[in-house]
Amino acid sequence: MAHERAQEVALPEPPSGSIADSFRKALPDVEFQASQTAMDVALAVRREDLLRVMQTAKEHERLAFDFLRCLSGVDHMDGLEVVYQLYAYRLGHSVAIKVRFPYEDPHVPTVSHLWQTANWHEREAHEMFGIVFDGHPDLRPLLTEEGLGYYALRKSHPLAEIEDWQESYLVAVEQAAAQTAAASGETAPSAASDERAAKIALAQKKAAITKQVREEAKAKGLSPEEERKAVTEALKALDEEGKGE
Amino acid sequence: MAIEYRPPAERELETIDINVNVGPQHPATHGVFRMVLTVDGEQVVDCDPVIGYLHRGAEKLSENCDYRQCIGFQDRTEYLAQFNAELSYVLAVEKLAGIQVPERAEYIRVILAELNRITSHHMFMGSFGSDVGLYGTSFMYAFRDRELVLDLFEEITGERMMYSYFRPGGLAWDVPENFRERCRQVADAARRGVEDIDGLLTENEVVLERCRGLSPVTPEDAINWGLTGPMLRATGLKHDLRRAEPYSIYDRFDFDIPTGAQGDVYDRYRVRLEEMRQSARIIDQALDQMPTKGPIMAGGMKRILRVPPGEVYMRTEAPRGEYGVYIVSKGGEKPYRLKIRAAAFSNLSALRNMVVGNYLADAVIILGSIDIVLSEVDR
Amino acid sequence: MAERKIIEVHEVRDDPQLAISDAVAEELRHDIKRLSPVRAYPTQGKALYRQLLPGIVQLPADWIIAWGRKSSLWPLTFGLACCAIEMISSFMARHDLDRFGIIPWPSPRQSDVMIVSGTVTKKMAPAVKLLYEQMPSPKWVISMGACATNGGPYTRYDRVLQGVDKIIPVDVYVPGCPPRPEALMDAFLALQKKIMEERGKIGS
Repeated sequence: MAHERAQEVALPEPPSGSIADSFRKALPDVEFQASQTAMDVALAVRREDLLRVMQTAKEHERLAFDFLRCLSGVDHMDGLEVVYQLYAYRLGHSVAIKVRFPYEDPHVPTVSHLWQTANWHEREAHEMFGIVFDGHPDLRPLLTEEGLGYYALRKSHPLAEIEDWQESYLVAVEQAAAQTAAASGETAPSAASDERAAKIALAQKKAAITKQVREEAKAKGLSPEEERKAVTEALKALDEEGKGE
Repeated sequence: MAIEYRPPAERELETIDINVNVGPQHPATHGVFRMVLTVDGEQVVDCDPVIGYLHRGAEKLSENCDYRQCIGFQDRTEYLAQFNAELSYVLAVEKLAGIQVPERAEYIRVILAELNRITSHHMFMGSFGSDVGLYGTSFMYAFRDRELVLDLFEEITGERMMYSYFRPGGLAWDVPENFRERCRQVADAARRGVEDIDGLLTENEVVLERCRGLSPVTPEDAINWGLTGPMLRATGLKHDLRRAEPYSIYDRFDFDIPTGAQGDVYDRYRVRLEEMRQSARIIDQALDQMPTKGPIMAGGMKRILRVPPGEVYMRTEAPRGEYGVYIVSKGGEKPYRLKIRAAAFSNLSALRNMVVGNYLADAVIILGSIDIVLSEVDR
Repeated sequence: MAERKIIEVHEVRDDPQLAISDAVAEELRHDIKRLSPVRAYPTQGKALYRQLLPGIVQLPADWIIAWGRKSSLWPLTFGLACCAIEMISSFMARHDLDRFGIIPWPSPRQSDVMIVSGTVTKKMAPAVKLLYEQMPSPKWVISMGACATNGGPYTRYDRVLQGVDKIIPVDVYVPGCPPRPEALMDAFLALQKKIMEERGKIGS
């Protein structure tokens, strides 16, 4: 998972007359950092102003955002972020409001008293990222069991490893078979590992022949169908030679 | 149906409230969903929904997958309307990367998405009927018609359910030669199926008695609770994302938006039934307008899709409501954060408000009318 | 025809190749001893029809009992995720499973087979185990789909149980994501063959 610290690319400014201007007019003393995402305008606010901004967004007559679409947490490697997507049915505009805060102090005021749909969204953000929503009535885990002990969607939490006990089990069985064979002095039971080695050798031989035939065909300048035909013929020849042995 | 609730002081008999666990395994919970109902006699006093029994981490796993590999996770997240989920995701990636999709691919996508809306609503009709009490008859009707559409999907994509057919930029491969005739056949068959289900359920006395007036919802409440899709339209608000925030080529089609009167269970059923007819209308128009020849994949697509840094929240109208895909990209081949805003999640969060005050048997019907898909709720 | 190894039903849990980790297998062995048909029917092998004319009445009786069991397998409707939709499809009119005597039954107390169709998460695992224990013997388990077999596409998420055979013994695995209804039919036919081959081993 190679998510290096990408340079913070400056997103373009939204055009004038957009919802950012309405916000700035409604709350002249709050500092907004506006940017234009692929679909909406995104406004980054400070955590201290968040509750005021949300209340104004819901109640102001020019903004009137009555629908909280989506509340997602994001784990940027230098802090956490909560992104709120809002929509106004009456006026038909949408906006995204973002707020960033550090890992050490993951507290954000809740908005579940403004939009009741935020209740479950905030519960999920809490259990996935560890974001604490101050004032939430009931911040139990929603999707996982209680007392899990880690925050699943944080970048610091890795994916589980594929269980490799199967691979090691087969190897152990072969080793045990080989040991018993050695103990009783026979060599036949090692046919299993021999067979596997033979299969690997055959596959490698086929790959080498395929590569060789392809290079020859490219040198001659054949079309793709002819190239494929040459490869199948070569593999058939190998099979017959193997059968003949 | 007016519910008369008499407080404990006025009753003659001393009673206690018991907790009824409608557990994760239940024939009527449409998946692994659990609600703990506190009932007083037969009336539900409190409801505590417990979800997460199907939390499989599609969002976390998507952060480790290519943009194209994530399409498979979208299928499995919304396993009844896969093309709609794929469409939402693929549109999000295209908006982020600035890819222009050819016309023919757009038309085919819209046709398949609307057909999938029909199959998803068929499934709803089946399970709704069996919740109300028809015990399997509605399932039989619904699946008979669903199988015909699934046959068409199998001819096109090779799969009955998890298609992984849409790609950022277009489609994975072209549709077969007889696509238009088959689509018209299937759309006609779906229309006949809709008439059959209409005849079975709409004027049905049991359905009318049980569902009329059950848990009505006002539009303000619906918006506050975050309901979208047919549940919102049943309350009377005429809002459809295909009209309000048009995406793909939906602005070229002429279709009605069915609404209900009071937002009760019967209205939700009627809205979904009518939506199936409107979907068939869209399919007809799209088949007429579709170019017969043309590319199905945007030009200049590289083998490995690298998306410039940015973020997007793309929302489409899935059969259940608003299916939103929020992608944060830091410039790479894998999404940095992929959040799925599932319609059923928000619709289900309002369950407590709708169920409290009704009878126990009606709680099951209300749950069925929300039309949940658990893997969408739990992701 | 290749020689087929017949696995006794009560040996399934002891077979190391059947993918149960040691700790869980130990626990299961303990459970199986408690719940096994040998213990549950202490009179196994002592029924009257085995005592009278030993071998003569028993052979057709075993055949008839096994035929009865295989011809009316009632699965527990245990749809977890996407595979449930294909399972429902296979019960419906096109790929009818009722013609094999297979009727989906909602209660575990009266069902024979448990079709685990879908991903089993660790939150759901105790419920699965409880349902399995609530089913009366003889019982079988079909693990349908990739998720129930070994975690499937979600195999790297730690909240997902990597295969349902970690907690319950499985008789038939059906690959696919999701498997077609015909594949589920094939699984049932294979299970029926298995039941026929093990006749006389379970019960009195």
